[in-house]
Amino acid sequence: MDEAWEEVGRLPLPPSGPQAIVQLSSTFAFDTSQELLWVGNQFGRVWSFYSTELQRYTSFKCGDGPVRQLLFHEKGVIALCPRSVHMALRRGPPIWHIVHEDMKDLQCMSFTSRGNTEILVAGLQDRMFVIDAEKGTITRQIPSIDHYTIMKRSRYICAATGSGEIHLLDPKTFELQETKFKAHALRINDMDAQHDFVVTCGYAMRQGQIPMLDPMVNAFDLKNLKQMHSVSFPSGAAYVRLHPRLSSTIIIVSQYGQIHEVDLLNPDSSKFKQANVLTYLSMIEMAPSGEALVLADGECNLHLWGSRAKIRFAEISNPVEFADPEEPALQVDWNNETPLSTVGMPYYRENLLSAWPSHLIHEVGAPPPKFDPQFLSKLSMGYGGYYGRVSATMRRNQVEDTRAVEKAPINLTAPRFLSEKARENQNNT
Amino acid sequence: TLTSQLTRELENGRLFRLMAKLGEINERPEYDNNPKWSETGERYMLKLFRDYVFHQVNAEGKPHVNMGHVLECLNKLDAGSNQTIKLISRDEQDCFIVSYKELKKQVEAAFQELIKPESTK
Repeated sequence: MDEAWEEVGRLPLPPSGPQAIVQLSSTFAFDTSQELLWVGNQFGRVWSFYSTELQRYTSFKCGDGPVRQLLFHEKGVIALCPRSVHMALRRGPPIWHIVHEDMKDLQCMSFTSRGNTEILVAGLQDRMFVIDAEKGTITRQIPSIDHYTIMKRSRYICAATGSGEIHLLDPKTFELQETKFKAHALRINDMDAQHDFVVTCGYAMRQGQIPMLDPMVNAFDLKNLKQMHSVSFPSGAAYVRLHPRLSSTIIIVSQYGQIHEVDLLNPDSSKFKQANVLTYLSMIEMAPSGEALVLADGECNLHLWGSRAKIRFAEISNPVEFADPEEPALQVDWNNETPLSTVGMPYYRENLLSAWPSHLIHEVGAPPPKFDPQFLSKLSMGYGGYYGRVSATMRRNQVEDTRAVEKAPINLTAPRFLSEKARENQNNT
Repeated sequence: TLTSQLTRELENGRLFRLMAKLGEINERPEYDNNPKWSETGERYMLKLFRDYVFHQVNAEGKPHVNMGHVLECLNKLDAGSNQTIKLISRDEQDCFIVSYKELKKQVEAAFQELIKPESTK
């Protein structure tokens, strides 16, 4: 965070519906490979915003309830909701969607030791799930005594419990390591882990009953598995991020917009900025490039920070795929004589979609179905036809074999000779 | 002449078969509780594409009927063009960027599901 850092953009979040009020975002994250900022809302919807102008790109529904966390894969984005996990292309179309009856209150997820091909999901529930991100299937279920709210992967999968502790999980076996850190007395508000460090902000009970943010950031050394000096932050540390490229540098933010940049190994020198927020901050996130920071305030604005000259999101930026521009429309007078071939086909090599399978054999030209006169008599005459209640004997639009009805044995009387008829008449009389 | 008359009608059958396929799969009530057709499912695109092709509106929000647009979209779908289009949901909340190629694949998959024999369902 150099001297030139300032607020370079501010984005009010779009409302969740035409009449709906604007809602706080429930999570956000910078994409790791494209210039996109992703935001999840309280109703399971995810939006993406392109470049530092934060231009609206795609949006889609990923589940019900608040979106808890987002992770990025080469192929797409993975979104976590309390009862489901969803993966979609960055362009929006879904890749897979997992729901499981034991997914009750998922809170967090992390990639495992297998690069980006596998994720571990956990929450305020007794079970964790291992998901194959490529196939979109649950590969393992792990019973878990502890409930987790935040997960970050570094040397271990660092998991914050609901009671202020940090647990370390082996990223291969998901076994709980013996070393546990009690980071905060009440609960952990924010946590980050990178390289060899874990840093946390959290709450403790002050003056008897009121939960208050601790005036320091706690830090743990994962290499030596021991607690480090905590970094003092008198106004109450609410959010913390490790700088993605300066391995021991952390960014601490207070609820009211004070931003500090501190070196964990040399805490006395720090840089200071103040974000202009009218309410409180509800979340922060740092871009993988380290050149941008986003802050969410209580009035549903996102504040984008960085230096105007250098700001960018991803370390390696792949181009974002936009919709192709519409071609100029053909001016055609569509009368009954205009052939449909006026609009040409694009170049193609594969089988056309209009090809029908050849094995479908259907009978045509059968007589139309007859209506039961008893049924007809119950209908009333309306403006456009008859109407009335449906009889329950048939499904809606069910196929009828009208030929079978025709073929049913009808008592045809064989023609008779005149002599036979005469005889009959005699018998009758 | 006869040949010129025939070339004029050459596209009709192809387009009709395509329309029949789309008609068969779209908005079946059997899909009401099928997750594939829900907002988070892969077939959701097909609903949005139907709207994109047939429910165009002008700047005032009035229906805009344009045979050229319909034919252009259908031809691109038929061929599975690589061109991408922007599909927006009715509540204007969801916005996807999809290629005709991907849509073609979904239509074909949905249609194959319809015609597969009862026993394997």
